[in-house]
Amino acid sequence: MTKKRIGMIFLASVFIFTFFAVPAWSKDVIKIGVIGPMNFLQGKGHWNGATMAAEELNAKGGILVGKKRMKVEIIKADSNEFLSITDATNAMERLLTRDKVDFVVGGFRSEAVLAMQDIAMDYKKIFIDCGAAHPELCLKVSKNYKRYKYFFRGTPFNSYYLAKTCFIHAGTVGAILRKALGLKKIMAAIVGEKAMWVDPMIGAAKKVLPKMGMEIVGIWRPSPVATDVTAELSAIQRSGAQFIFTIFSSSVGITFARQAGELKIPAVQVGINVEAQKDGFWEATQGNGNYVMTLNTYCRGVEYNELTRPFVEGYARRFGETPTYTADTYAAIKYGLAPTIEMAGTLDADKLVKVLEKRVYKVPSGKVKYMVDEKGRQTHDLTWGPGYLTSLGVQWQDGTQRGVWPYKWKPAEGVPEITYKGIVPYKIPPWVIAKYKK
Amino acid sequence: MILDIIVTGIISGSIYAVLAVGFSLIFGVARIVNIAHTAFYMVAAYGIYFGTQRLGWHPFWCMILTVALVTLIGLLCYKAIIDPIREHEAAVLIATIALAMAMQEVMLLIFSGSYLSVPSLLRGYFKVLGVKVFYQQLITFGVVLMILMGLWALLMKTRLGVAIRATADDREVANLMGINESRVAMITMGISVGLAAVAGAVVAPLSTLNPFMWMHPLIMMMAVVVLGGLGSIKGSFTGAYILGFAEALVVFLTPKGAFLKDAVALSIMILVLLIRPEGLFGIYFEEER
Amino acid sequence: MGAIGYYTRILFTIFRREVIVLPSRVAVGIFFLLMLLLPAINSDPYILRIFILSSIFAIFAASWDLLSGFTGQMNFGHALFFGVGAYTAAMLNLHLNLPPWASIPVGALAAVLAGLIIGIPCLRLRGTYLALTTLAFPVILMGIVFAFPGITGGELGVSGLSRLSSSRLLDYYITAILMLGLCTLMWKITDSNTGIILHAIREDEIAVRAAGINTTKYKLLAFSLSGFFAGIAGGLYAHFMRIAGPSTLEVSMSFQVVIWSVFGGIVSIYGPVGAVFVLFPFLEFMRFWPEYRTLMFAVLILLILLYMPDGLFPWIRDKIETECPRCKVRNIATRRTCRVCTAPLHLE
Repeated sequence: MTKKRIGMIFLASVFIFTFFAVPAWSKDVIKIGVIGPMNFLQGKGHWNGATMAAEELNAKGGILVGKKRMKVEIIKADSNEFLSITDATNAMERLLTRDKVDFVVGGFRSEAVLAMQDIAMDYKKIFIDCGAAHPELCLKVSKNYKRYKYFFRGTPFNSYYLAKTCFIHAGTVGAILRKALGLKKIMAAIVGEKAMWVDPMIGAAKKVLPKMGMEIVGIWRPSPVATDVTAELSAIQRSGAQFIFTIFSSSVGITFARQAGELKIPAVQVGINVEAQKDGFWEATQGNGNYVMTLNTYCRGVEYNELTRPFVEGYARRFGETPTYTADTYAAIKYGLAPTIEMAGTLDADKLVKVLEKRVYKVPSGKVKYMVDEKGRQTHDLTWGPGYLTSLGVQWQDGTQRGVWPYKWKPAEGVPEITYKGIVPYKIPPWVIAKYKK
Repeated sequence: MILDIIVTGIISGSIYAVLAVGFSLIFGVARIVNIAHTAFYMVAAYGIYFGTQRLGWHPFWCMILTVALVTLIGLLCYKAIIDPIREHEAAVLIATIALAMAMQEVMLLIFSGSYLSVPSLLRGYFKVLGVKVFYQQLITFGVVLMILMGLWALLMKTRLGVAIRATADDREVANLMGINESRVAMITMGISVGLAAVAGAVVAPLSTLNPFMWMHPLIMMMAVVVLGGLGSIKGSFTGAYILGFAEALVVFLTPKGAFLKDAVALSIMILVLLIRPEGLFGIYFEEER
Repeated sequence: MGAIGYYTRILFTIFRREVIVLPSRVAVGIFFLLMLLLPAINSDPYILRIFILSSIFAIFAASWDLLSGFTGQMNFGHALFFGVGAYTAAMLNLHLNLPPWASIPVGALAAVLAGLIIGIPCLRLRGTYLALTTLAFPVILMGIVFAFPGITGGELGVSGLSRLSSSRLLDYYITAILMLGLCTLMWKITDSNTGIILHAIREDEIAVRAAGINTTKYKLLAFSLSGFFAGIAGGLYAHFMRIAGPSTLEVSMSFQVVIWSVFGGIVSIYGPVGAVFVLFPFLEFMRFWPEYRTLMFAVLILLILLYMPDGLFPWIRDKIETECPRCKVRNIATRRTCRVCTAPLHLE
C-alpha cells in the first residue's frame, strides 16, 4: 500500500465518519438555530442580533427553566436562500436533526420561508420568522392551527400593513408638497419592481392615492435587478409627475435612486426601497440618493421606547452599522423566547406556544401583540398600529438617514398626535421646489 | 419617445457589441466557448471599484491598470486551465463555467454580496434632441467605437490580424502555412479578455456591482453572438445593435412589461435561428476540426 | 420446486461468471445494495433527505446524458424539463387535487411536450448554436411564469403541495427505487438498437442519414425521452419539497446538471449518477465552511477536468479494467490474460 493509498483511505474514512457521526449533546444548554443568507446583509443581521441577545442573556447566567439556569447556545445555519431553495431546506433540516435545536429564528425570502416553515412544523419546533412579510405564512396558522401553531412572525409586520404604512407616508408627503409648492393636485407616478409581492400594492395604490389628492399619471414595472432605468425616468419626467411612489426590494432601488438623482428628476421618491434602508446606500448611489424616503425599522437617533436606544447604539457600536429589521432576532430571542420560557418554566413547545401567543410585550421597535383574525382564530401575526408596531419613515438627508415619520401623526380622530423621539421634519429636494414653486 | 428608443438602443447595443465581439473572436479562432467572458467583465468592474473607492485613485488610471491586470489573469487562466484541455470542447465549456463560478465566489468573499457602485468618469448629463444622456454613456459609446475601429484596424491591416483571420478560417491550413496556431490562440484570448475588461471598466459606473452581475450579460451576449453567427465579428456587431434596440423597444412600449426584455430578445434570437440556423452572418457548413 | 432451484442456479452462475468478474459491475451491485439498505444503517432524516435529493438529481442528470451525451445534442437548458415537470405536477396537485402518483407522470408528459416543442427548432442547429439556443428556453419560460403570477405564483411558486408519501422512509424508498429503476431503464435504452442509432447520430449524423435512418425521428425521440425522465425528476422534487418555484428554471440548475454529467463522465449513464452522489453530499458536507463551499466545488471541477477530461468514472474504470485487444471484452486490470480468449492483455 503506497502512502498515497493510505492517505486516501484515511481521508475517505474521516469523511464517512464525520458524515455519519451523531454529535454528542449535553442538555444543559438551550439551542437556538439562526438561519439566514449568511453571506448577505440580511443573514448577517440575523446572526448579529442573535449573538447580542445570547450574550446578554448568558451574562445574566442564562435563562431560568423551572429551577435550572440554562445557557443559550446559538447555531448558525446558512440557508443560501437567494441562490437555492434546496439549500435552505437542507439547512433547516440539518438544524433540526443533527444540531437538534430547540428553537429556530431567521428566514428572509418568502419562497424559502414557506418551505422551511413546513419542515419546522414537521418537527414541532417553534420557528420565528424574522424577514418574510408574506401574509400566507400566518394564514396557514389560522387555517391549520394544530399543525402550524409553532410558527410566529417576528418581523416585519405583514405586507398588508407595509402597504398601509407606505400610503400614510405618501399622504403626509403629498400634503407637505401641496403646501410647499402651492399645487392643488399632485401628479403621482407609481414605480414597482416586477415581483409578485408588489402586484397587490400597486392595485391598492391605484385606489388609495387618488383619495389623498393625487392623480396617477403612470405605472412602471422595471425588472428587480434592472441596471438601467433611464428609459423609465425619461417617461416619468415627461409625464409631469412630482411624486414617485416606489416599491423596490432589490438592486433596482439603487439604480433608480442614483439615476433619478443624477438626472435631477423633479419629483420626490417615497415608498419602500429596501436598498435605501441600508447604510451602504449613500455610497452605492454615489451620493445621488439624497432625499429618498423609505420605510425602515431602525434609525440612529430615533426611539420608540426605552429599549430602542440601547439596542440600536449597542448594535452600531459592536458591528459598525445600523441594524436592519432582520436583526430583530435579538428581540425574538431576548424579549420573545426568553421571558416566555421563564414564565412557562419548561422548554416544551406546546406549552410555550400557549404562553407566547397570549403575551403582549415590549421590543426595541414597539410592542408585540399577536393578532386574532375576525373569526377569532390565532394567526401569530404582528399587530400594527400606534402603541404597537408602526415602523418609521426615514429620509436620506445629506449623507445620513433621518427619521421623518411619524411626525405629528394623527392616526384617527380623538387620538393624540404621535411624534417619536428623534424625528425631524421632511425635506423637499431643492430642485423640485425650484421647478414648481410659483 | 422614438429618440429615447434610439438613444437607449445605441447605448445598450454598444455594450453588448463590445462583449459579443470579444466572445466571437475567441470562438472563431480557437473554438473556445468562454462562459467566463462576462465573469472577467465583472472582475474588471470590481477592480475599478477597488481602485477608486478603496484606494482612492483616479478612475482613468484605474481603468488602464484594471484592464491590464484582468487581461493578465485571463491569459494565466487560459494557460493553466483551458489550454491543456482544448481538444475536448465539452470539457472546455464546463471548465469555463467552473472558472466563472470560482471568480464569482472570490468576489463574494472579498466584497460580500452587497451592492456597490463606482463613480462616473464625468458626472452629469446633457440633452440630445430632448433626451437626457449621461456623459458616462457617451464615454461608453465613444470607447466602444474606438475599440471596434482599433480591432478592425488590427484585423485588417496588421500581420497579426491576418494570422488571426487565417486561423479563424481554417486552423489546420494556417498551421501548414507556418502560423504558430497556439500562439495566435493565446494572443486572441488576451485580446478577448481585454475587450471584456474594457467593457467592465466603462460600464461599471452605469450599473450596480454584485457578485452575480455576470449572469445576465452572459445570456444577452450569447443571444447576440448566436443571432449574429458564431465566429463572425460583423455578425456580433449587428446582432448587438438589433437586440439593443429590441430591448429598448420593449422597455418603452410596454412599461409594465419591462422585465420581459430578456425573454423578448431571446425569442428574437430563436426566431432568426429557425429561418437561418447559422445566424445572420455565420458560415453554414463547418467541417469539424 | 425444482424450477426454483434451477433458476437460482442459473442466476448464481451468471452472477459468478458475469458480475463478480468485473469490478465495475461489482461496484454497481454494491451501489444498488447500499441504496436499498441505507435506512438500516442510518435512518437520520437529514441523511435520508440528502440521499432523496441525490436520487432525484441523479435521474435528472442521467436524463441529460441521454440527450446530450449519447445523442450529442448539447442541451444547456435542461432545467426547462425539470421546471415544466415540477410546475405541472404542482398545479395539477393543487388545483385538481391529483395525488402525486398521478400528477408526477402527467407532469412528465408535459415535459415531453416541452421537449418536442423545443426539439423541433433545434433540429437544424448544431453544436454550440444548439447549446446556446437551448439555454434560452428556460429563461423565456421564466419570463412567462413571472408574467402570469396569478396562475404560477410568480416568484413564490406553487406551494402547499401534498407529500410524496406519509413518511420520510417511504419517500426515500420511492425515490431510490425509482432512481435505480429509471436509470437502469435509461441504460438499457442506450444499450439497445435505438441507443446505437442515437450514438451514431452523435458521431456523424450525415452518415446515419446516408444509411437511410430518419434522424429527425430519433432526435425527437431523444428529446422526448430525456424530457420524460427529467420531468419525473421535477415532479418528484416538487412533491418532496412541497413547493415548485422559479428556482427550478434557473440557469444555475441547467448548468449544475451539465457540470455533474461532465464531471462523472459523459456518454455513460452511470457517470452522471455517480457524480451526483459524490458531489451533492460533498457540497452539503462542506457546510462548515460556508464561505468557501462553492469555491471549493468550482476548484474541484477544474482539477477533475484538467486531469480526467473524460470524467471521473470512466477514468476510474480505465484504471481498474482493461479491454482485451483481441476480443474486446472487458477484463479486470490485474489479469494477465483475457478471461474469454486468453490473449495477453498487457503488451510488454
